Amino acid sequence: MMPIPRISRKHALAGCAGVLGVLALVAGEPNRGTGATVDVDRLAAIVQAEQDHVTALELAQWIRDWKPGLRVIDVRGADDFAAYHLPTAENFSVTQLTRARFRADETVVLYSEGGTHAAQGWFFLRAKGLERVFFLREGLYEWATQIVEPRLPDDASPQAKARWPEQAALSRYFGGSPRVGGTAQTVDDPTAALPRASHDDAGGELPRPASGEASASTAAVARIRARGC
Amino acid sequence: MTALPFFSPVAADGAAGLLAALGIGVAFGWSLERAGLGSARKLAAQFYLTDLAVFRVMFTAIVTAALGVFWLSWLGVLDLAQVYVPPTFLLPQAVGGIVFGAGMVAGGLCPGTGCVAAATGRKDGAAVVAGMLAGVFVFSEVFPLVRRFYERTPRGALTFPALLNLPYGVVLFALVALALGGFAGADRVERRARRLAAGGG
Repeated sequence: MMPIPRISRKHALAGCAGVLGVLALVAGEPNRGTGATVDVDRLAAIVQAEQDHVTALELAQWIRDWKPGLRVIDVRGADDFAAYHLPTAENFSVTQLTRARFRADETVVLYSEGGTHAAQGWFFLRAKGLERVFFLREGLYEWATQIVEPRLPDDASPQAKARWPEQAALSRYFGGSPRVGGTAQTVDDPTAALPRASHDDAGGELPRPASGEASASTAAVARIRARGC
Repeated sequence: MTALPFFSPVAADGAAGLLAALGIGVAFGWSLERAGLGSARKLAAQFYLTDLAVFRVMFTAIVTAALGVFWLSWLGVLDLAQVYVPPTFLLPQAVGGIVFGAGMVAGGLCPGTGCVAAATGRKDGAAVVAGMLAGVFVFSEVFPLVRRFYERTPRGALTFPALLNLPYGVVLFALVALALGGFAGADRVERRARRLAAGGG
């Protein structure tokens, strides 16, 4: 019987390295996290055509009508989400968003306080290949002024007056307080009368409403207004 | 969810990163000392081809790390996207390599082995570490003057798979083959160099 040759430790380790090296040839690509390739020309065309976002009215209609496959994603912090969020919304931080899995047939709408983080999240999801993804144009700020407390000024444009019944109905559906009258500095878009501020970049803690003082949504709208105005 | 790396380069948890670096550094130093690389004679022998321990130790470290990174990532334990790849600046790094090489020839030690030599009480190691720290200090002080050169020829975070446009596994296989071939050849090179040295008197 042939004696079994004794294998030294260094040869055994070299053999292990060799086997792992050969297996690497057929193992495929390693997990590279959530790397993605972006067709920037296509994304630029989508942005140019304004097909990257939805308005608060469109989103409100989708939520009310239970649009199939709709997922509303709030990319603000957990505390802000707990204080107030849109109906049916889920809370994902931006870093969680890049690792989340969405089905191709789902329509994903992202929103943040003002819109910046949601727009950045939109880019990440598009880069990952998700097609049906949008962000709420001006974030919660637009939801507040268009759905929670919409106002039809006396000098509103005919287009604004024409869409008012639907807007007021949507507002009431979501527990809002549509108002008619007053003055506006614009005749077309009520939100244009409000100062545009960088809501996402607002720093510091804002005072929280006392319990029982106001409903959660009214308090949240007040906080948003406080930042925006 | 991946378990590694222990800390994220984009998250603000520097203490965890420093602790991990300390642990890895001590282990690396221990390995270098065990391989005898705390001696400048050992490093000098590398260049006379009479003792290729430096080549073996360093290439073993590279291959072990490369295999570990690939397979841990493949298994989903390590998130490659979180692993920092230092950016390449061709010209300044070439000049830096020459300066580094000149220092290594003069001192007989590289930074890692210099620390090991100093930690084991060798005076030449302490001198190399002192020179290294002095160099870091001087470079920091004159950095504004050399900054334009320092940032020339940027090539980004280059990796061999991206540079050669080859699958990661193919590059890894080539690296392992190169190492194993090199280890096999190192014995012959050493024997031949010793024979020549003996023959030459």
